[in-house]
Amino acid sequence: MAADHSRNEGDMIGRALPRKEDDPLLRGLGSFIDDIQEPAGTLHAVFVMSTHAHARIVEIDVSEAIRLEGVVAIYTGKELAGRIKPITSDIVQPGYQPVKRQVLATDRVRFVGEAVAVVIAENRYLAEDAAELVRVDYEELLPLIDVDQAVQADAPKLHDETTGNVLFQASFRTPRFDEVFASADHVVRDSFQSHRLAVTAMEPRGCLAVYQRRNDNLTLWTSTQIPHIVRTAISNLLDWDETRLRVIAPDVGGAFGGKCSVYPEELLVSFLARELNAPVKWICDRREDLMTTTQGREYRFDVALAFRKDGTLLGALAKIDCNIGAYPSFPLGASVEAGGAAIYLPGTYRMPEYAYETRAITTTTCPSGVYRGVAAPVASLATETLMDRAARELGLDPAEIRRKNVLVASDLPYTNAVGARYLTGSFDTCLERALAAANYAEVRRKQSGDRLRDGKLHGIGIASVLEHTGQGTLRYRQRGIVYVPGFDGAQVKVEPNGRAIAWVSQCTQGQGHLTAFAQIVAQELGISIDEVTVIEGDTGFGPYGTGTFASRGAVIAGGATLRASTRVAEKIRRIAAHILKVNASDLKLSNGRVYASGETSMSIREVAAVAHSMDARALPDGESFGLEATDYYDPQVAPTSNAAHIAQVSIDPATGLVTIESYVVAHDCGRVINPLIVEGQIHGGIVQGLSSVLSEALRYDQNGQPITVSLMDYLLSTSVDCPDMTVLHEETWSPGTAGGFKGVGEGGVIGALPAIANAVADALVPFDAKINRLPLLPHVIVELMRSSSGLPGGHESTALGERNRLHDSVAVREEHAQSHECIS
Amino acid sequence: MKQSGEFRLSASQANVWDAINDPETLQRCIPGCESVEKISNVELKATIKSRVGPISATFKCDVRLSDLDPPNSYRISGQGSGGAAGFAKGGANLKLAADGTGTKLLYDVDASVGGKLAQIGTRLIDGTARKFADEFFQNLAKAVDGAPAAQAPATAPAPSEPATTAPASQPKRVRWAIGFVVLAIAIGLVVVYLLSR
Repeated sequence: MAADHSRNEGDMIGRALPRKEDDPLLRGLGSFIDDIQEPAGTLHAVFVMSTHAHARIVEIDVSEAIRLEGVVAIYTGKELAGRIKPITSDIVQPGYQPVKRQVLATDRVRFVGEAVAVVIAENRYLAEDAAELVRVDYEELLPLIDVDQAVQADAPKLHDETTGNVLFQASFRTPRFDEVFASADHVVRDSFQSHRLAVTAMEPRGCLAVYQRRNDNLTLWTSTQIPHIVRTAISNLLDWDETRLRVIAPDVGGAFGGKCSVYPEELLVSFLARELNAPVKWICDRREDLMTTTQGREYRFDVALAFRKDGTLLGALAKIDCNIGAYPSFPLGASVEAGGAAIYLPGTYRMPEYAYETRAITTTTCPSGVYRGVAAPVASLATETLMDRAARELGLDPAEIRRKNVLVASDLPYTNAVGARYLTGSFDTCLERALAAANYAEVRRKQSGDRLRDGKLHGIGIASVLEHTGQGTLRYRQRGIVYVPGFDGAQVKVEPNGRAIAWVSQCTQGQGHLTAFAQIVAQELGISIDEVTVIEGDTGFGPYGTGTFASRGAVIAGGATLRASTRVAEKIRRIAAHILKVNASDLKLSNGRVYASGETSMSIREVAAVAHSMDARALPDGESFGLEATDYYDPQVAPTSNAAHIAQVSIDPATGLVTIESYVVAHDCGRVINPLIVEGQIHGGIVQGLSSVLSEALRYDQNGQPITVSLMDYLLSTSVDCPDMTVLHEETWSPGTAGGFKGVGEGGVIGALPAIANAVADALVPFDAKINRLPLLPHVIVELMRSSSGLPGGHESTALGERNRLHDSVAVREEHAQSHECIS
Repeated sequence: MKQSGEFRLSASQANVWDAINDPETLQRCIPGCESVEKISNVELKATIKSRVGPISATFKCDVRLSDLDPPNSYRISGQGSGGAAGFAKGGANLKLAADGTGTKLLYDVDASVGGKLAQIGTRLIDGTARKFADEFFQNLAKAVDGAPAAQAPATAPAPSEPATTAPASQPKRVRWAIGFVVLAIAIGLVVVYLLSR
């Protein structure tokens, strides 16, 4: 349905309302997984984790552990054989090889942290003590820590059911690619390596399973993004009746993709609760979180961009390798990163020719999954870095080369070289607005060739990026991801007191759904937002759905909520029309009342009473009782959001410390439901982006031992590192989606990586430094300055020898943090 | 982890040999050593209690000697299991040399750690290893340098030969063998402690 672009005074959609979620959360009334009141007799589970990256399990001796008083049971893979099916993501794509993951390793362990046994005891302390007494005998096998090792001809095969370790590969070539590339005036190329990242939600994972023998019912509370997908997976893999299962996501303290998989722990805890006829609880601590929650973004992009000498972009060549760890995640599978990478690379530009090869490769490291932005941040980094380099080499300003190539209104609708469709967008407008707000021309005019000012090197960087949001059933089927439904639903119900409740099939983890969707309901029904309650995350209520990830909330859940609300509003009008004896189409809903022309009106509460037969007046003939509607939404075309980010940095030449001096972003996420929430998403995305550019890196040693599994070693940015961010809103309503909404969850990250990397590259122009690897720790910057020809592209060493320089970098960052005033 | 270093003892090479012939001296010198057991001439088992940052554990160690080039150098290799704290394995090459009237001891360690020690302790391992080595050698220096040369034989156990008042009169080969084994234990334990960091 076409979105109505008119905006009225009193409209709820578009209003910058403080979030309904915040008051209880700020008062400490949040109920996260560990806050849930444990039923009497709750047992605690602790996992015995593999200490080897790749080894055969020879023997597991639990005799000492099981004797510990208070230990109820210990299970290994052997005991569970056949009772829980392995997790397999069967992605239907040519070039894809599915692999099985047992909930507990049986014959082989494939990463440090893989669970080999589970100990269940009366309390967590006892369980941990007993887990330490479990003795596992391993026969070590060769670890494969990166993609190069895993694709060697003589590399051990990680999974028996595959040929080799490449679990997915795909390639593509436009018909004229070779001739256009060969005859291009100018080609820039480099190999970009991004480091593995930990999602580090503030709240790690956890679950509590409560079984009721009377009805053979199981309720699983779990900190997740995908409650319905978890429920269906439990039903399938444990062979249980799905109607007896209920999965509830409590308050979730952040997820960012790390809780977007069905984990072995969720299956095991559910199984154990029923097996032992007792509630079973498991909470992941931070070390376990950094070792077992899906990790992200260990990619190598070999990219070349071809240009005419006037700066016109002709095409791109990309070879992409993704290290997806020991097992693909479920349900998104091994191809989500490798496939997405290829689709994102062309970015916001007119680019007719494109050729790529992409692979997902398994190694003896923690399984990877989606992490905010997935491959888009790194794909954008590659494209935007090469755009800047081409500009410099061709004698153009980086802004100029983008103006030459960015999609403009007359290009739209645009289908890119791989078939992604952009119906609407404001790529050029956002670029110009960001450049103006950042005073770009002035900054360039004042910039000196040596980039020095006040003893620091200064640089400015641009990124023009887009985000594929709100992908529906069609996209998931096209990608062969058969276990993700793609639609979502909303059940909107007005109770006899005239207030509304909406059960939405998604699962907010901080995105503000309980406010944004309440705004939609309030506007459609004409009631106050305080009279609307939105509930998500409970599969016991409301319709089936997909969950909250991949920037699909506003588009799909917002769309479903809008459609369901509209139908309820229509019913309200029909009932009121019958009672007021007017035409339904003449009625307006606002202020909690139904208005006809003149003074005639009735309250929505009265309408609700009539609908529940609690009023002297009867419903019109043929009208059903109650005042509710359920509707689903599935967009046919995934809307594209876009943004332009401009970062300015300064670098201390002595220490290599990068400080972000200013940050401007002009973004377009279609029709905005709540500007405060949108800004929060963009701010959060930028901060996660800058953290991954400047300091975050999960490291493994040469034996596959993870050596950065505490926050002492895995360096997150802090508030001290954050710049003030100027956010400019553009609103190009999406013509193809209900409500005109587009998504915005990941754009902040996608733009931050290239903008900051380009700013650093600009500051280091006097050194001709090539930025092609992340993170840009102080010692990396210093090395770039010392070796004026720049570092060779490619894989950064994970050897322990890096550690000393890493310590220096850590010291520099800690000093920087302490030198700022802290609020204590 | 790779680490190397040297330590100078002012006692003569002979005194050093004799001092470390005494298991009691060794156990006193090695921080956290609880027990030593000789399995064969080239195999030893030891138990050492130690700590890296927040992780403390008791390590059960198996050590083997190889590449023997008496009395100049040899290699010690082995593994230590710290239970839930993790494990370590690797080896060390050792060189002994007379240095004037004293003795120079050079070590060259190559080790890897796994489990919690690697996960949380990596940042601390180098520092802790060096600290341990220093502490061991300080203790050894106190034990050896403080003792007059003549007293050395009284403290040296001679399982296969009766102790005599003149150590120099002991057959050189036997003295070497005893000294070698005990030194191997000492170095082995040092190495294992370093490994377990």
